[in-house]
Amino acid sequence: MFEKSIGSHRGTEGTEEGRKPETLSVSLCEKKSTILSVKNLCVAIGRTTILDKISFEVAPRTVFGLVGPSGAGKSTLLRCLNRMIEMTPGSRVSGRVEFHGSNINSPTVDADALRARIGMIFQQPVIFPTSIEGNVLFGVSRLRRLSRREAAGVVEKSLREASLWNEVKDRLRSPGQALSLGQQQRLCLARTLATDPEVILMDEPTSALDARSSEAIESLILRLKASRTVVLVTHNLGQARRVTDWVACLCPSESSGAGEVLESACCDAFFGSEACRSVFRTLVDDEALS
Amino acid sequence: MTVSRRILRLLLPAAAGLCALAALSAVAFILGVLLLRGLGSVDWVFLTTDTKAAGAAGGIIFQILGTLILIATALAVAVPPALAIGLTRVVFLQNRPRAARAVDALLHAINGVPSIVFGILGLLIFLKFFDWGKSWLAGGILLGVMVLPTLAVSLVERLAAVPRKYIEAAAGLGLTREQIISAVWLQQSWTGLITGSLLGLARAAGETAPILFVTAVFSGATMPDGIRDSPLLALPYHIFVLAQDTFNEDARANLWGAALVLVMLVTCFNLASLPLRLNLHEESRHV
Repeated sequence: MFEKSIGSHRGTEGTEEGRKPETLSVSLCEKKSTILSVKNLCVAIGRTTILDKISFEVAPRTVFGLVGPSGAGKSTLLRCLNRMIEMTPGSRVSGRVEFHGSNINSPTVDADALRARIGMIFQQPVIFPTSIEGNVLFGVSRLRRLSRREAAGVVEKSLREASLWNEVKDRLRSPGQALSLGQQQRLCLARTLATDPEVILMDEPTSALDARSSEAIESLILRLKASRTVVLVTHNLGQARRVTDWVACLCPSESSGAGEVLESACCDAFFGSEACRSVFRTLVDDEALS
Repeated sequence: MTVSRRILRLLLPAAAGLCALAALSAVAFILGVLLLRGLGSVDWVFLTTDTKAAGAAGGIIFQILGTLILIATALAVAVPPALAIGLTRVVFLQNRPRAARAVDALLHAINGVPSIVFGILGLLIFLKFFDWGKSWLAGGILLGVMVLPTLAVSLVERLAAVPRKYIEAAAGLGLTREQIISAVWLQQSWTGLITGSLLGLARAAGETAPILFVTAVFSGATMPDGIRDSPLLALPYHIFVLAQDTFNEDARANLWGAALVLVMLVTCFNLASLPLRLNLHEESRHV
């Protein structure tokens, strides 16, 4: 798959000027290590094949974007990366998804323990009907024993990491559902961060938010990659361009309709590629792609 | 607008209003008669003393206590299986619609069994087979089985209304199924269990037939001191016997007093469940 990779790694050569001829930039796009690896993944729900022979790799401490038209199976693919797909009735998965080299679909792997290491943020913020503090501690307090002091520390650390601490530090006992939508999404992120996952899967986390909140989440994603790996599903090509290091494009196959990886490349190379332009030209104007 | 449509538009709310008024009038009439005839008998002495002179004097303290013992036992009997049925139906059988439908059918079948049949079954099982004699526990178990469908259906409805997003969010954090059950499913549906319990118990409190054969006596019992041969006095049975057998005017007055107390007891259960039911409807509008 990496043979396809062209262009430069974002952050090393900028955005516009970084778009180089393929032959000059192949080496800059190479990934040195892999935290998640998807090999020949096929997913069917009932009799419908949703994903067909999906393969790609995700490097640690990067933001990996999954883009593509609606119905291509991006969210389904994301749910395969922490076995959330098993909660979908009638789903069947074949192929390998490796996390640190081990197949997560192996029967010996504890799916719950896996999900604690590969957290997930959903399209709509999901706030439990409890306090802000209760929401942050919702998962972590059930995964490990916490003293009152430790719990307070976890709440502060997670809310700071999610850039929400300053806004809510004086009302931690207030209902989480009273926060604005953007704050709610950051609260969800804080709740996930409290369990200390290595990888965070984000399923269009800004699609329900206004521009300002989206911007806050985007800067958060960029900060998060210093310590964690992020896999981001997004419809927003501008966002993919701003925050991702590597992008894979999923498209429905013309023959079967099942999603398949059309292109996987580092960000700048991806947006310069003809494959990307051919897929998205019909969806967005050229300005968004450039 | 045509004339026929205009007439229909006026007739429909008028007919619906009349029907509602008729139903409310019936309830108001019953309450009115009870208050008119029973209120004179109900005082502190009536509520706190034992029955004397075959119901013509004294009070109904042991009938009230007996009824409370029966419904508390019924609650203890019905809640654990109701929880198990609710979780099985909604959580464990969520991907098996046929089995879920079978559970629904079973619950409706139990709900449809006439109360006198429960009484006869109780007679066969507890009196003939176990040889308990008349026992408070037998009555409590029978009433528990009778109200089980009400509790289970109420819990199933509430469990089924738990938003899927909460389950997925909890699973996404790495919680096990058991942790999701306690932290999400049960946390979100305890109001359903309480509502069902209160409604079920309101029904159990007024049932006469199931306790007729296995628990209740008219006089001679106070508080139970064991399981075998430990009958109870109960309000529905007390009313039943007085209504059937007495020609004494004082006893008739006490009969209406006991009926008023029973209705108040049942109304208390219904009123207690009302805020939870209203809260449930309010929540469902915001999900």
